[in-house]
Amino acid sequence: MAGKAKIIGTQIFGLALLAIILGLVPPALGFNIYYVLLATIALSVTIMVAAWNIIGGYAGQLDLAAPVYFVIGSFVTTHLLVFYHVIPWIGILVGALAAVALAMVLGYPTFRFGVKEVWYALLTAALVVIMQRIAWFIMTSYYFPILGSNEVYISQYIPEDANPWLYLYFPMNYTIYYYIFLALLVFTVWINLKIKRSKLGYYLAAIREDELAAEALGIDVRRYKLYALMIYAAILGVAGGFHIMMIGILAYKNFDPWLGIVIAVMGIVGGLGSIEGAVMSGLILRTIEEWLRSSFGAVIPGIHYLIYGIIIIIVAILKPEGLAAIINYVKKKLGLIQYG
Amino acid sequence: MAVDPIVLTQSIINGILNGLLYSLAALGLALIFGVMDIINFAHGDFIMIAAYLTFIFAVSLNMDAALTAVLTMPIFFVLGLGIYKGIIEKILGAEPLIQIATTVGLLLVLRNLALAIFHAEPKGVPVTPLGIPIYLGPIAVPLSRLIGGIVSLGALFAIHQLLTRTKWGIAVRAIADDREIASLMGINIKKVYAITFGLGIALTALPAALIMEFSRADPYLGLLYGLLSWIIVAMGGLGGVEGILYSGLILGLIESLGCSLINPSARELYLYITFLVLLWIRPRGLFAKR
Repeated sequence: MAGKAKIIGTQIFGLALLAIILGLVPPALGFNIYYVLLATIALSVTIMVAAWNIIGGYAGQLDLAAPVYFVIGSFVTTHLLVFYHVIPWIGILVGALAAVALAMVLGYPTFRFGVKEVWYALLTAALVVIMQRIAWFIMTSYYFPILGSNEVYISQYIPEDANPWLYLYFPMNYTIYYYIFLALLVFTVWINLKIKRSKLGYYLAAIREDELAAEALGIDVRRYKLYALMIYAAILGVAGGFHIMMIGILAYKNFDPWLGIVIAVMGIVGGLGSIEGAVMSGLILRTIEEWLRSSFGAVIPGIHYLIYGIIIIIVAILKPEGLAAIINYVKKKLGLIQYG
Repeated sequence: MAVDPIVLTQSIINGILNGLLYSLAALGLALIFGVMDIINFAHGDFIMIAAYLTFIFAVSLNMDAALTAVLTMPIFFVLGLGIYKGIIEKILGAEPLIQIATTVGLLLVLRNLALAIFHAEPKGVPVTPLGIPIYLGPIAVPLSRLIGGIVSLGALFAIHQLLTRTKWGIAVRAIADDREIASLMGINIKKVYAITFGLGIALTALPAALIMEFSRADPYLGLLYGLLSWIIVAMGGLGGVEGILYSGLILGLIESLGCSLINPSARELYLYITFLVLLWIRPRGLFAKR
């Protein structure tokens, strides 16, 4: 049992280290509103990558539908707030449940009928476009006549005397959002670590390595893939709910197919099944993207995505283990692990 | 609800003509996927780049868009060979996730190159004499679309002949059936692969040229035609050119009937929901031979 205690000790140490290092970022940025906003968005993206690690990294399903569950969370939270005056805390909860329900409704037939590999990737990519069209319908034919616009500006629907914590409404103060997202990221990483060392985690690893063999050994492949998908959807739904309260504008274009692709790219670059890699890759790539976009974006639009293309090709051809290989190397040198 | 027979006929004709074009758009993908087992996610973006190239040639050389295919196809063949040598050869036989990741990277590069060079502006060729419609009673068919359909059908037939009647085609089909046995029979797999990939990419330039007759090039074409081509390949299974032809026609008809009978602004919805349901009920496609 000493081994187990050591693993848990290392995990708590790692999570604390993550929280402390990232917790120092806003003071390091001098609490500059713009930079803290960018850092918060980077955290939000990293949460998505960390959640993707469960379905993509552990279960090996190339899911490109991260924006679907993320924006469902945003959508439900906003809808409940605008039309029923429900506070976002409840809205986020309902949004996450809606995302899980959608994951179940879509995931059940998908796994039941053995849709996998390229077909799974395509199906999930198509899903984002389908949701975008449906959202467009709802917003133009239902929201527009009532709200007078195709986009929802959330700040208009916050009561004057609202308690900011109750409504998660902190105008021009992104530092609070930053720490909310940091807490969510630490929680997501903890869930990842929990899963990895659980029955579910071992089953998913078996499914990823060889689905037929896993099935032959008596693993209910469909059920465990569905569990992975639902956990992934739940985390994204919660993150999406908080995200929309920070960003404040809901539009049908939030269902962005490219975001789904970028999240998967980040997950692969981080190394499949490595949560450390996923977090590092999310933070690093998103920061590089922002830097490229702000430095060269005006002259060369699209350069920030171009770089993703080049990085993923290089990683896939030369180093399919991704950043995880580097992390494991460092860990070995530090004596934290023996094998890896 | 009564349906106007003229509207119905018109939309069936539109559906067939579009469907032929969709089949042609998917043909290169089907060839690469069916023969080489390479998952090319960037297929649609090759069509998009070809559309921009068509625009450049059509404007700078003052040519009709459809004729520029004579120039763009050889260029794309060479481009395909280059990408095969530089990237694809290294991921042959790799696990699907790695192949998808690599070609998604290719997709991001192609799409954002177009964005960087053309700044997301849609580019259309000047009006061609082919834009005029032909009237058959109350039904109007634009000449450009009719030519698009006929050329597509011709190209599909030509590829079918190539695959069934030539020695190279027989080698290709032998590899698609069983790579190792084909190799033992003295087929140079590397060479066939390189040519197949080149041809598959060259085949994206033809539909792009035909699309430019009535549409505009913009960086978002890639996603639409990419998904569309994959839907057709999913539907056709790996049943050869015939399967691709029928699937394209079915999809074209679903799209045009959906637009004219239900709601025109939900075009993508019909296509993608068809895809979703198809993957659930017939994962091996409607026309699969194996």
